[in-house]
Amino acid sequence: VGKLSLGHLPANKGGFTNQQTHPDKPMNKLPPDTQDTALLHWADGPYSIKRHGTSLSNCDSEPVKTPGCIQAHGAMLVLRLADLTILQASDNTAEFFGEPPASLLGQSVTRLISEAQQARLCNMLLHDALERNVLYAFTLPERNGVAALDVCVHTIDGVAILEFEATGRLTPHENRDFFALVKSAVSRLQTAGGLREFCDLVAKEVHGITALDRVMIYRFHADHHGEVFAESKRDGLTSWLGLHYPAEDIPQPAREIFKKLWIRPLQNAAGPLVEMLPLANPDTGKPLEMTHCALRGASVMYTEYLANMGVAASLVMPILVDGELWGLIVCHQYTPTYFPYQLRAACELMAQVVSLQLKSTEYIEQMAYRNQMENVHQQLIAKASQDGNLLALSDGQPTLFDAMQAGGAALYHRRRWWCAGRTPTNAQLDALAEWLNQRPEFDSSTRPVYATDALARDYPAGADFAAVASGVLAVRVSRLRQDLIMWFRPETMQTINWAGEPQDKVTGAGVHGARLTPRASFELFVESVRQRALPWSAIEVDSALRLRLLVMELVVSRAEHLAELNTDLAASNEELDAFAYVASHDLKEPLRGIHRYAHQMIESAQALDPENHKRVESLMRLTLRMDSLLDSLLHFSRVGRTNLEFAAVDLNEILADALEMVGVRAGENTCAILLARPLPVALCNEVRLREVFTNLISNALKYSRQARPRIDIGYLAPDEPDPRPNAPPEAGGQTIYYVRDNGIGIEQRHFEQIFRMFKRLHGRDEFGGGVGAGLGVVKKVVSLHGGDIWLESTLDVGSTFYFTLPCGKETQP
Amino acid sequence: MSSLQHVLVVEDNDEDFETVMEAAQRTGIFNQIRRATSGSAGLRMLRECLKTHDTLPALVLLDLNTPGDDGRYVLGEIKKDEMLRNIPTVVLSTSASPRDVDFCYAGHANAYHVKPVNHATHLKIVQEIFSYWLSCALLPPPQALEKQ
Repeated sequence: VGKLSLGHLPANKGGFTNQQTHPDKPMNKLPPDTQDTALLHWADGPYSIKRHGTSLSNCDSEPVKTPGCIQAHGAMLVLRLADLTILQASDNTAEFFGEPPASLLGQSVTRLISEAQQARLCNMLLHDALERNVLYAFTLPERNGVAALDVCVHTIDGVAILEFEATGRLTPHENRDFFALVKSAVSRLQTAGGLREFCDLVAKEVHGITALDRVMIYRFHADHHGEVFAESKRDGLTSWLGLHYPAEDIPQPAREIFKKLWIRPLQNAAGPLVEMLPLANPDTGKPLEMTHCALRGASVMYTEYLANMGVAASLVMPILVDGELWGLIVCHQYTPTYFPYQLRAACELMAQVVSLQLKSTEYIEQMAYRNQMENVHQQLIAKASQDGNLLALSDGQPTLFDAMQAGGAALYHRRRWWCAGRTPTNAQLDALAEWLNQRPEFDSSTRPVYATDALARDYPAGADFAAVASGVLAVRVSRLRQDLIMWFRPETMQTINWAGEPQDKVTGAGVHGARLTPRASFELFVESVRQRALPWSAIEVDSALRLRLLVMELVVSRAEHLAELNTDLAASNEELDAFAYVASHDLKEPLRGIHRYAHQMIESAQALDPENHKRVESLMRLTLRMDSLLDSLLHFSRVGRTNLEFAAVDLNEILADALEMVGVRAGENTCAILLARPLPVALCNEVRLREVFTNLISNALKYSRQARPRIDIGYLAPDEPDPRPNAPPEAGGQTIYYVRDNGIGIEQRHFEQIFRMFKRLHGRDEFGGGVGAGLGVVKKVVSLHGGDIWLESTLDVGSTFYFTLPCGKETQP
Repeated sequence: MSSLQHVLVVEDNDEDFETVMEAAQRTGIFNQIRRATSGSAGLRMLRECLKTHDTLPALVLLDLNTPGDDGRYVLGEIKKDEMLRNIPTVVLSTSASPRDVDFCYAGHANAYHVKPVNHATHLKIVQEIFSYWLSCALLPPPQALEKQ
């Protein structure tokens, strides 16, 4: 893996060209510290790997398209298109044709090929699309002890390049039927299901066809970093599956080259190189562009990288989807080898078929993902529509988090956060939301969405939670209330397979040191993905936007429905009012009569025997009890129907009033009221909240066997770490008030019922009696404040009642 | 002076009226007590007094929830009538609803009392009403009414 690249363009191409066209102006006249050392070394003439390669200091300065050298196992001739005169020849022609370059330059190519071959060549030059397109021309037969040579030709910038290679005669591939191999491989590829299965199969098939040591499918991510997505290898090699590499390992110029070629063979990375003579085209003075040449001398950086890994030969094919480089099929061999023309043709065909089919496989997979997201989102909306709120998005099954491939999701709704999966803390979410709400993206009328794969770049405070949320996708679902939906993606570093660090032994670093090793690449990659997440795909962003529309539609229809309900509610409230009034009046009137007669019986009839006297007394007591039940019922219904007005009130004053009302006076030694610290000012309804404290305190005093009951009153601010036993999720991010006693305690099974109207846990006359209305009223008041009330209790130890006061006007119709 | 005038009790409930009578007896007032069992009957009795130049009552005890024209209506009629509005009108009601209390005072009721279920308390309240309005408070002179 690693340096898969063929090499890189010079960073300063202009400077380089200038150098070529003005060879008489040596750069060394410049002060030494401004000189580009990489350029300086070939100031004496065009670049050649043999002369300058080892003096390169970085990948970006290497002129990979014009290496000046070819691999020594073949020969190359450059012909002037106009008359087929040999302009340049590789410095090994004597080996192949029995004549050194000197005797070939300026001569016609007809000197080396037969008439028939020349006719074939001319025909191709006239009729075939050869510009930057390599085609097989003919084979020079074996002669004078030189093996038969396959000749490929292509044209570029007014010259024809002829490459001579003794291919196919010296390899184990001889006599293999590549056509049949590719045909059956392609038919097997049709059966693959998803993308991963498809890529696994491609690796396996290419491994089968090439019989090389390792075949990898290297996939580029949107940020151009790469990942070994599939692998097929010979036994005994360490797997590189799942490893990631930085974008720098295959930089943009190298990726561009792969959009132009279907195959890049390198038979012996460490093999000898042969220079072109002369290095520059004598007609133009320019170095020869060898982008398309199979014989092109490989990048120094690349060969060094391969050597550092112990790899001797490589074969690379691009996978192109819609003209973009999706990935590469990379083959490695640990010994030098031969790639005969037929094998290359087979691999090229494979690469083209894979490219075409991958597009549809990926499309199908993306559609499946899209449909899955859509499906889950629809379910969520259906549930939310049923429930009448958005809580289903984070509460039930499935959640927001199940649809999108994310680490976590958060919904801001009803003034608090509803989270699923791994998310930043509430305080961090608050700050992030505040920042997000200022983003111009949300003002867009067409795509009001914010998506990033590097939050900390836009939002420096995001660095604190980069591990869970380097990637953020956010949509606002209510402008008015600033309701938000966010998805989070963890830092890529958190998700990569650390067990898969390159373990292979480095066989000794080359001249460029440890940089050109898998280990260093991996470290570079890790650095490049610090505070970065996998980017959001267009499908995911679209899906988020669609969900936003669904939620907004839901909210609109919900609002209409609420408006209707409100009208109904107002009508029924009036009826209820009338009912409660009439009920109290009409029930109390006879009650008063009964009590009166009973009273008179006791007063007038001295003859009443003791037993009957007792009965009549019970009758009176019962009527009085019914009277107080009716009073509580009336009060309860009145509390529920009142639209409370909220104001900022000092809770300490409310508490002082409440204590006075329950008869606790300062300085008296009947009980201990302890306030850990002064209570804050809260937005609430003063009268009703006093009732809450009155009820809770009087219960605490009542349900106690202590001679001197102790009551602790206090609060927990949202950011305080103290435990919040039994707290409902809605209480998150809220100030929680509590009243704690050391009384008789309540069994857990009664935790719900005690808040029911008229529910008593104890005998009518135990613990001072009462009708059991207090906690019902308390719960009603708290819920009118949009809050929750709950408790924690241990029998014979005491109870703590907790409540929140979000002042939820939203819960008010 | 008050002994010359009667007390009008607008009350449909017999038991409650008996409680009023019992309270009157216990307080030891000598005023005649006249009963109207509906709002409209009460108004008729008051207007009859005006017509016949009979003495107007010293005090009206008004139950709010009477059949027909209810106590609220009666209160309104009394207080908007120049001849009647000076009569102290005390509301006695089962309802403790702030709305009712508000309504009555806004309608110039002279006092508002809740009739409790506890008979002893009920008696005590009515006794106190009698002793306050008929013994403590100085009421407008009945002659003034006759002159009209």
